[in-house]
Amino acid sequence: MNLHAIQILFMKDLFLSRRYLFAYLAAGVASSVLTCLASGTLAFVGFILIITVAIAAGIHMIGTLLLSETTDQTRLFVMSMPISLLDYSLGKISVVMTTYLIPWSTMLAVCTIATFVIPSAKQGSVIILPAIFLFLLCGFMIQLVTAVVTESVGWTICVMVGCNVLLNVFLMKLHTMPEIEAAKQSELITWPPAILQLFAVEALVIGVALVAAFLFQTRKRDLI
Amino acid sequence: MKATTEDSAVFDLAASLKGVSKTYKHFQLQNVDLQFQMGTVVGLIGPNGAGKSTTMRILMGLVNPDRGEVSVLGKPISSSDAEAKKDVGYFSDDMRLYKPETIGWHMQFVRSLFDTWDEGYAKELLQRFGLIEHQIVKGLSHGQRVKSMLLLILARRPKLLVLDEPTNGLDPVAKHEVLTELMRVVEDENRTILYSSHNTQDIEQICDTITFIDRGKVIASSNRDDFLEGWKRIKIHATDPWQAPDIQGLRLESTFRNLRIYSLNQYRDDIPAILTSSGAVIESIEPMTLEEIFVSSVLRGREENK
Repeated sequence: MNLHAIQILFMKDLFLSRRYLFAYLAAGVASSVLTCLASGTLAFVGFILIITVAIAAGIHMIGTLLLSETTDQTRLFVMSMPISLLDYSLGKISVVMTTYLIPWSTMLAVCTIATFVIPSAKQGSVIILPAIFLFLLCGFMIQLVTAVVTESVGWTICVMVGCNVLLNVFLMKLHTMPEIEAAKQSELITWPPAILQLFAVEALVIGVALVAAFLFQTRKRDLI
Repeated sequence: MKATTEDSAVFDLAASLKGVSKTYKHFQLQNVDLQFQMGTVVGLIGPNGAGKSTTMRILMGLVNPDRGEVSVLGKPISSSDAEAKKDVGYFSDDMRLYKPETIGWHMQFVRSLFDTWDEGYAKELLQRFGLIEHQIVKGLSHGQRVKSMLLLILARRPKLLVLDEPTNGLDPVAKHEVLTELMRVVEDENRTILYSSHNTQDIEQICDTITFIDRGKVIASSNRDDFLEGWKRIKIHATDPWQAPDIQGLRLESTFRNLRIYSLNQYRDDIPAILTSSGAVIESIEPMTLEEIFVSSVLRGREENK
């Protein structure tokens, strides 16, 4: 493993994605602020925008940094350098994740801080934020694995659509769980077992997807 | 003692492929054995889809062979080991640079990965190729793109250059500039170039060793001058019933009335006498161009494999 090469690959991709990254970061902050400060329909629009930004950022970064290297034929240029498959895989997966996690974590942070800062907000509701954001991260990770395995834009979009459908089901279920609903309405933060179990499942999915993405990528026999 | 000799022979090799095979759905590279001596310029000629690019990608570790051994500059090469690629410059016609970035940005990227980067030479190449450092890749013509990529490769001062169809689609001026620069590189005796093309004129111009490849098989490999001196086109007049003497490598290409045109791949000085004594009248014995030799080799190879 060549750490120097991995670092250069990482920085290269971070630089290449800088414009999109700033755009998603700005859109993420704007939609989070809108959700937290507005009320009624506007707050709902803000929430939909948060979900949209998270999904769009994920599919866009996977497409731009991972899939387009094959379609744009730039991978051949990169792989002609003294870079091994392991270096390439580590650099690529880490930069795709980083570029997604920057707007993702910013939106989560803004929403969390707003819950504590805004006087009218019930602090107990903060527990659903990590649940929703971790679900979005799960979806992103599954799309990442799909992109790594299939190297196909079509398949990755199909999986993204599937994840979006599941997100709706997940949000509906989340609101119908009495334990969680009660904790949300509380002025104090409480962590019911149901939400902790949910976090555990989401963390497991993310972990398995990360390992799978890395294993599939490093076991490829041909790079082109 | 023998081991020492073998070690030295291995050390003199820029690259070697031993029994290399690779199977795709509609193509098979079959049992390729090739050795490229250090300091030589090797031309790999083959029709489209012959296996030139696959061979080169295997040499670069971009494609793993199903069977066989590959070594480059004395080191085994695979997708998991990048060490051997440090001294190898690879160009492919399918290779692209990052469209939104400048040539200068690409130079900086390559420089950060190579200690051997020669900034002075890079600037010199920029000037010679008529390139502008802050020009964005998206706006480059095909010729400028090829020259930019060659700049990025040559400024690293690699010991081995693996060039897959570098002059493909270039206008005559750009082609001249590229070939002239490669001729300059060739002057350095320690540098080896493996150059693939289906354009025999380019290969004839710069290569000293030539390998023909067709349908995934190496069909001939020899010194350029041996090819050009060994192959002849023989036109003879002979009336039926005339039986061609048994000369190895003699192949009938075409007939017109009594005129028979043969190609011969192992010409010897006694051939005219053998033909005359068989009752044929020799009209001419002509040298063949590399392109004619290539076409004839391919057709012979395909006939043998029928």
